[in-house]
Amino acid sequence: MAEEGKGGYSEHDDRVGVVGGGGSFSVRRRKGRGPFRGKMYSEMNHRFRNRGGIGPGPSPRLRLDEGDGDVLMSDAHDGSRARHMPYGPRPNRRAEDWHDRDKGAASSLQASVKRNQTVQDRSGATKTKWFKVTIPYGKKYEKSWLLSNIQSHCSVPFVAVEFHQDHSRAHFYVEDSKTAAALRQVSRKIIDRDNFKVVILVNNSSPPQSLQNELKPEEVEQLKICMSKRYDGSQKSLDLKSLRTDPDLVAQNIDAVLSRRSCMLVLLRIIEDNIPELISLIMSHNKLYRLDEMAELGQKAPNLKILDLSHNELKSERELEKVKDLKLEELWLDGNPLSNFFKDQSTYVSAVRERFPKLLRLDGHELPPPINFDVETPTTLPPSKGSYFSSDDLKAPVLRFLQQYYTVYDSGDRQGLLEAYHDGACCSLSIPPIHGNPSRNTLGEYFKDSRNVKKLKDPTLRFKLLKHTRLNVVAFLNELPKTQHDIHSFVVDICAQTNTLLSFVVHGIFKEVDGKARDSVRAFDRMFVTVPAVNNGLCIVNDKLFVRNATTEEIRKAFVMPAPTPSSSPVPTLSAEQQEMLQAFSMQSGMNLEWSQKCLQDNEWDYGSAAQVFTQLKVEGKIPEVAFQK
Amino acid sequence: MAASVDFKTYVDQACRAAEEFINIYYETMDKRRRMLTRLYMDKATLIWNGNAISGQTALNEFFEMLPSSEFQVTMLDCQPVHEQATQGQTTILVVTCGSVKFDGNKQRFFNQNFLLTAQVTPANTVWKIASDCFRFQDLVL
Repeated sequence: MAEEGKGGYSEHDDRVGVVGGGGSFSVRRRKGRGPFRGKMYSEMNHRFRNRGGIGPGPSPRLRLDEGDGDVLMSDAHDGSRARHMPYGPRPNRRAEDWHDRDKGAASSLQASVKRNQTVQDRSGATKTKWFKVTIPYGKKYEKSWLLSNIQSHCSVPFVAVEFHQDHSRAHFYVEDSKTAAALRQVSRKIIDRDNFKVVILVNNSSPPQSLQNELKPEEVEQLKICMSKRYDGSQKSLDLKSLRTDPDLVAQNIDAVLSRRSCMLVLLRIIEDNIPELISLIMSHNKLYRLDEMAELGQKAPNLKILDLSHNELKSERELEKVKDLKLEELWLDGNPLSNFFKDQSTYVSAVRERFPKLLRLDGHELPPPINFDVETPTTLPPSKGSYFSSDDLKAPVLRFLQQYYTVYDSGDRQGLLEAYHDGACCSLSIPPIHGNPSRNTLGEYFKDSRNVKKLKDPTLRFKLLKHTRLNVVAFLNELPKTQHDIHSFVVDICAQTNTLLSFVVHGIFKEVDGKARDSVRAFDRMFVTVPAVNNGLCIVNDKLFVRNATTEEIRKAFVMPAPTPSSSPVPTLSAEQQEMLQAFSMQSGMNLEWSQKCLQDNEWDYGSAAQVFTQLKVEGKIPEVAFQK
Repeated sequence: MAASVDFKTYVDQACRAAEEFINIYYETMDKRRRMLTRLYMDKATLIWNGNAISGQTALNEFFEMLPSSEFQVTMLDCQPVHEQATQGQTTILVVTCGSVKFDGNKQRFFNQNFLLTAQVTPANTVWKIASDCFRFQDLVL
């Protein structure tokens, strides 16, 4: 699935997007059209040596590259290497035959601590031992609690790689057998709040997925810049010919090997975020031997008409199956081994046409006209957009309402919401249908209140589950699990407005902060119908809440604070409490995170005095507009 | 007491209208798309994944270019909208969730929120969509 495939990148990408980066691409959320300028064809035809047989899946090389990456990034920071020889004879080892890299990489060997732990396997390649650590029922613990407890019981310090939770478990990876053995000793040593002993299982494993994501955020940023140079906006054409030998990338020691899954996924992501309008994509001379990752290309760049895959290593026409969703008019495949397998040109053409019925040109030759009927069948969906506020006049009161509402809602006592509801308000809650035993479902807590009139036919029950009048509504809300909403996740659509009505839908993420589903992350959709109240306020007459489990992607993105300021990078990272305080402060004050943090920091993280100072300055009109821009 | 009896009647009516509505709406959406805008008021607004489309002509154009669809609704809920908000015009809120497969796209989950009003003419009463808000659950922005 695509979400799965994007994997660990989203985190990086988000950070890049928020910080703004130095690239010429626009911020990610703005759905593309970045200021791509100019064109620089990298026509340097460096000869690749034959790479030999490389199969799919994690190869020993992957681990090595990660180690190299660490070292090389620090090199890149001092910039000396990059400045010395951008186009020179490239004595750095990236230019060497990467098959033999290990032998030639003396300089990075001594710098890389990880290398010392690698072992030589029979094929001559080096390999690290990885272990997967599993904590059954680990999902109920907070990550920081769990890891710090394990660390304090563990005889050796360790780095938990790719910590994640699924089902009821928590997992992470560690790197060598000594650490693994030490962690085994910790099993059943920790006792949790409920007096359970925390069991820790340690097993051999292949390297974690994230280590196969070799490009670091900085490198992704460089790749973006490189791609923007290679993009011709007038033709909507991206030329990635021989990307690996791009002088800019080589100078930065960035190894852009498109035949690697992780690299290709980054590439597709950049295309999707910045140039979804792409029409022509040139991927020749990139040693592509399979097209699995490109299956998503049609969704990322729905207008793509021209694809150049010439001079790659595609061995079978079956690879084309994977990209047949593309509505191609022009395809280049010459210089791939697959073309040798056809007995004549017409079998070749018909094999390609079978996958791309509307193809007009193959390898530069015009094809017989495709069979067409005059019926259009659209397959492109309009791109999704963020919040729809209809007008700025409505945006402010709605956002203010939501901030106030969820501050009270998350406060632990929802009694204060009484003021927000009309005397005759109604409210109902629904969850998606549960298959199997509701008590086993993590949404079980909501099940008894779920009103799904598609399933529920009894009129009495239907009536009972619709909470009516202010007191009943708030009493009902008070019984729901305690929550913390991620106000930054909110997407708001204002869907109807008249003189007497304002209706909007909020989509967002929250987590439960209490009870047995503590820390479970949920997604919600909530429709409010409101009538005008005093002081430009809103009074709820209808409240319809839909709750579901958050997807892995949503969990990953939830509660991620944007970095305060790119310029003040040495700022120490905030503790969990500070993060929480910051979010609350930002929500209450209406100031953005940067200014909220500044205010809290200036008051030594004393919420009360920060609030006091804020209120005073606000009254005096001393807080600039920019503080409230989010 | 009398008021709550009335409210129960409203709730019953809302449920019946909502059930019938979603059958017709998604059936029309999937199989007779050209007729779909007849379910909308003349000045109805659709917010489709953040894109606002207003009025019959724009709605017609929008639905015409939307790929053919297969909707499956798994959840439906509805509420009578308070009369103070609607100036006495009978209105209900209808909320659905389910999955949809648009031609050429993968199957995705969606949430949809409607406001329906009963348009009373001397001859009959016809329910129409006043507003419609559609979002994929896996929001990609």
